Amino acid sequence: MDNEYILEMLHITKRFPGIVANDDVTIQVKKGEIYALLGENGAGKSTLMSILYGMYEPDEGEIRVRGQKVEIGSPSQAAGLSIGMVHQHFTLVTDFTIAENIVLGNEPMTKFGFLPAVDLKKANQQIRELSQKYGLEVDPTAVVGEIGVSVQQRVEILKMLYREAEILIFDEPTAFLTPQEIDSLLNIIRNLRDSGKTIILITHKLDEVKRVADRCAVLRRGKLIDVRNVADMDTREIASLMVGSEISLELDKQPMNPGAVVLDVRDLTVANSEGIEMVKDVSFQIRAGEILAIAGVSGNGQTEIADAIAGLLPVRSGDILLGGESITGLSIRERAQKGISYIPEDRHNVGLILDYDLEDNLGLRRYYREPFTKNGNLQENVFREYADKLIDKYDIRSSSGAETIVRSMSGGNQQKAIVAREIEEGNPLIIFVQPTRGLDIGAMQRIHKSILHERDRGCAVLLISLELDEVMELADTIAVIYNGRIGKTAPADTFTKQEVGAYMMGVGGQQNAEGKERERNE
Amino acid sequence: MNSRKDRIRTAAVCIAAGLLVGAVIILLLGKNPLKAYFNLLQGCGLAPKGKYASGKGMITDLLSYVDSVTPIIFAALAVAVAMKTGLFNIGVSGQMLFAGFLATVTVGYSSLPAVIAKPLVILIGIAAGALLGSLVGWLKYRFNINEVVSTIMINYIVSYVVSFFIQTRYIDTVSRQSKLIRGEARLTLKNVPIAGYKCDIPLAIVLALAAVIAVHYLMHKRTLGFELKAVGYSPKAAGYAGIGVGRSIVTSMMISGALAGLAGVSYYLGYLGSIQPKVLASTGFDSIAVCLVGGSEPVGILGASFFLQIISKGSTYMSSQSGLESEIASVITAVILLSTTMSTVLMEFMRRRRESREKRRAENDSDQ
Repeated sequence: MDNEYILEMLHITKRFPGIVANDDVTIQVKKGEIYALLGENGAGKSTLMSILYGMYEPDEGEIRVRGQKVEIGSPSQAAGLSIGMVHQHFTLVTDFTIAENIVLGNEPMTKFGFLPAVDLKKANQQIRELSQKYGLEVDPTAVVGEIGVSVQQRVEILKMLYREAEILIFDEPTAFLTPQEIDSLLNIIRNLRDSGKTIILITHKLDEVKRVADRCAVLRRGKLIDVRNVADMDTREIASLMVGSEISLELDKQPMNPGAVVLDVRDLTVANSEGIEMVKDVSFQIRAGEILAIAGVSGNGQTEIADAIAGLLPVRSGDILLGGESITGLSIRERAQKGISYIPEDRHNVGLILDYDLEDNLGLRRYYREPFTKNGNLQENVFREYADKLIDKYDIRSSSGAETIVRSMSGGNQQKAIVAREIEEGNPLIIFVQPTRGLDIGAMQRIHKSILHERDRGCAVLLISLELDEVMELADTIAVIYNGRIGKTAPADTFTKQEVGAYMMGVGGQQNAEGKERERNE
Repeated sequence: MNSRKDRIRTAAVCIAAGLLVGAVIILLLGKNPLKAYFNLLQGCGLAPKGKYASGKGMITDLLSYVDSVTPIIFAALAVAVAMKTGLFNIGVSGQMLFAGFLATVTVGYSSLPAVIAKPLVILIGIAAGALLGSLVGWLKYRFNINEVVSTIMINYIVSYVVSFFIQTRYIDTVSRQSKLIRGEARLTLKNVPIAGYKCDIPLAIVLALAAVIAVHYLMHKRTLGFELKAVGYSPKAAGYAGIGVGRSIVTSMMISGALAGLAGVSYYLGYLGSIQPKVLASTGFDSIAVCLVGGSEPVGILGASFFLQIISKGSTYMSSQSGLESEIASVITAVILLSTTMSTVLMEFMRRRRESREKRRAENDSDQ
């Protein structure tokens, strides 16, 4: 059968209780192209790929691989059709070496005496050859638990290649990577295509699509909106296709109108829970109506600064002043009452109690106060009223409103719930850590608008983000952190993006960041 | 709504599984399972026996059965309160013994009148249990000592220390147990004539029912319960919300210990009337099973306590009547527990079935 498509998913419909995740979606992927699936969170991208990977069964429609109609009932069947997938959350055994992880379940065998044994020497050799062939440098004998996220991701890719996958699915592969790591990943993806692999890239980041994809399918609320050639697509138009309305990509940012100093951090030194000093002698001030962004590569101490200010981590030395008053010795709750709101980095384990319902989570800052508690009894109707108000005001969507168990909500709406709860306190200081990580354009826009709105009403905002674009777009003042120390603090308009990037790598504005970057990857 | 229905349905399936496995074993032994199960009910006074010893009747058996259930209810509530806070109190037996022993030596042998002795026994039970419980909580909070380890250790310490004192000071040389406590201090009124039969009246059952209501109220209506559950679900998120995680752990273990203390006094100063040295009450461990079968919810625990106790209490009579070993009862309980611990899988299975049913319904609707 003559067919130019290696993979076709025809008229796929998948329903879940109360929602149609995929509604008559048809995609046709050519051999050797990079095909992007673009859409907001909850648009149905992941469901579609889970169907292809055998994790869900479609209610309607059919799948053809190389022109043959197939039924894919499990991931191992998908692998048999040479389909491989790199999940957003890696599936690696952290105590095994890279080679052991890659060959796991498909090991080259040898004999140890008369007993069968895994031929690790051969495995290492195979992995080395494979990694050279595709330009994915890894050390096969390194233990997975000791390597960085981007290397782990390469291991996942090698796992697919080892199983001779021809169709490679990447689910939001750049979500946890730094800008430099993203560059190198996109290069890898391009190389894979050039060596004949077919790539499906699930993403909500337009610029990645623009940079690597050949064609792009836009999904919205389970429906296929359009398929475009990336070469002749217009970013703004695609963005509006994605979210369903014309949106402005530029924020309406008013000039800063700063007031008195709200937060004054002096010579702050903080150790993490293992006792390692992550923050060293850090000082900065934030005024009312000012957004100070701390830019830096992940793990350089920025989250520890936020935790120390909110009281989650003890201060080793130095002082934190809120409105001129030292809060260093206060408990978490006392600090919150003094006027600190905190949107933490880890929304699943810290920001929310996933097994509580939405109304309980929205009431988490107030539950112990009147009118939420009277004589030690919870007032359920007060929780409900308050939750309904916030759900309406901040457009938090869920399957059963205030009673929805938060675990079942989408990431974007979980984050909206946290932001709503924290902003609603009307505090003089708000700390945002990675507020838009993993969120789609629409949700990101809303959160960015909220941040600016808070600043304009006279709130001091501490923004900690790994997304350089976000920092550049929102910040009034930028402080760059490297290895626990703030290298430079200056008004945002005196920096270029490249300069911030260079400081993030620990080198000054003049030097080239590239050398340092290579060093770090090794 | 659905999840509650699922839970009840799962419990029913687990119990059915236990009874079914028990029935198969009984059949293999060449006996009639229905008759054996009827014997269980008869042994608990829930069905009339063929003949009774003089002065005893169905009501005697029934009250004795209720008397034996009482400590289990308290103990299972103790396990549940800790579990909701994410703690595994495996030291209920030790806390029971500690409370029972303290109440025995302070009040049990005294000459106080009943109106003072009985409330005092209850208060000492609560205080002793709470003390030992909060010690466990404090060890966890202050030194990060896992509560499973500390409670097991404390079980041994209490068991040996108590048996030392019993054997050196309070031993009854005939029964090799502690001397029987005086009736005034006892929480079970012995040999009270009712309708011509001699009966034991379990006073503490009233308290146990009150405790069921109180724990339910605490966990679902009180702000404290909200905090404890938050710590149980996610200590990190609870800390972020300003809840004192350490304080919650200590509080939860204190409440759990107090309930275990009540289990202790209702067991040693109610049901038994004496303490056997070097033996930890199996109630403390059985209560974990009861708590799990009851879904860690007070109301479920009440039902599970009464149900599981039919099997163990009635097994003596079953064995005397049908010649079956009374260990069959443990097998049934064990299968019920085993299927309960696998119930997450079972519930997932039910959820899927419901989904596919809904899907089919949705398809039918769209066809019309």
